[in-house]
Amino acid sequence: MEFFRKTLDPVIALSIIAVMDIFLFLVIGAWTVGGGETMMTGLIAQWFMGDDLKRIPFWDVVFPPHGDYWKIYISLGMLFGAVVGAVASKEFYLRMPRHLSEWLMITVGGLLMGIGIRLAFVCNVSTFFGLSAEMNVGGYLAISGIVAGAWVGSLVYKKMLEG
Amino acid sequence: MSPVAECMVAFLFGSVVGLLMQRSRFCNTAALRDAIMFKTYRNTKALLVAMMILSTGFTAFMTVGAGHPLEFDVGLNTFAGLFLFGIGMVLAGACTVSTWVKAGEGNVGAVWALLFTFVGMFLFSLAWGWNYWPPAPSSMTGDPNLPALQLGFANARTLQDKLGIPAVVFGLIQSGVLFAIYRAILRKERAQHAHHEKRQKEVVVEHQLPSADLIPWPRPEKSQNEVAAEHQG
Repeated sequence: MEFFRKTLDPVIALSIIAVMDIFLFLVIGAWTVGGGETMMTGLIAQWFMGDDLKRIPFWDVVFPPHGDYWKIYISLGMLFGAVVGAVASKEFYLRMPRHLSEWLMITVGGLLMGIGIRLAFVCNVSTFFGLSAEMNVGGYLAISGIVAGAWVGSLVYKKMLEG
Repeated sequence: MSPVAECMVAFLFGSVVGLLMQRSRFCNTAALRDAIMFKTYRNTKALLVAMMILSTGFTAFMTVGAGHPLEFDVGLNTFAGLFLFGIGMVLAGACTVSTWVKAGEGNVGAVWALLFTFVGMFLFSLAWGWNYWPPAPSSMTGDPNLPALQLGFANARTLQDKLGIPAVVFGLIQSGVLFAIYRAILRKERAQHAHHEKRQKEVVVEHQLPSADLIPWPRPEKSQNEVAAEHQG
């Protein structure tokens, strides 16, 4: 099938996703990933800690974990769709970071993404495909923050590549 | 809609998104990083087109009170959080979407990034119990709350309510600004392309220049030996 042999133009892909996101916005809410990831974190923590998790105010007041939170299933769907795409196009294979510095950057990067999402209450998807498109003032704050952060991150990344 | 139906719609949406992202190689990190570091805009253009469609679509429905806009207060935490996120996504080489998509392609680094995103979220949840900042959504009032560094809540719909101008008008203005940025990028790409072609032609011409020995007799200019002899004389 041609679709799985050639790379799709990202403008076409994002246009289709944008139209679908408008439909999702009408039915349940705009596309987001950070909320689902937070709920998954809560569910994983609950699996390890049981009722002791309620002693941490964040999980008691802001995000009480429950499995029927629709945002979780967007992330799981993305994983499923990507597996289907990768297997059908014969692009699925195990890839490992080769150097210790790569593992370090990914670890620090992941931690910063997690802390950032919870501090802001939004992720990059909500920033560009939710808040900003709704013209929420938070969208403009978030775009300023993510562009500034990406610029600083690029400087650090460049230094690491040169070093 | 029942919670089960919501979850099914979300899964279906996510599956199509995952498939399209995997086939198009779109990445939000690349949309920002490549524009900043390498001056290439493949992903940036796609991001802008999506934002144009969404700005018009969301605000059109918000004009008639339809849809489910995000409703919570924003403030300094919004900027600071996304600043940290921006650094993190460049270092990790993936954003929230591409971690899932790359994980689906068998990328162990992406799974590792995802794992530590969860760890980061859990660490922040511990810190939140220490100072309760930013305020919980339940304590957000919608109005500016400067002691808590919160600006309140405002979107195209609140603008419509305050100014009496339909929300879609603001959406169209925003789409126009995004389109202007998109056209500026296209102009820049054309200039880059023209410069690249000119440079390539120059290189070809340099390589095609005949050496002094191959220039047919009589030579149009003095030979190197003649010039050297004149200087010595």
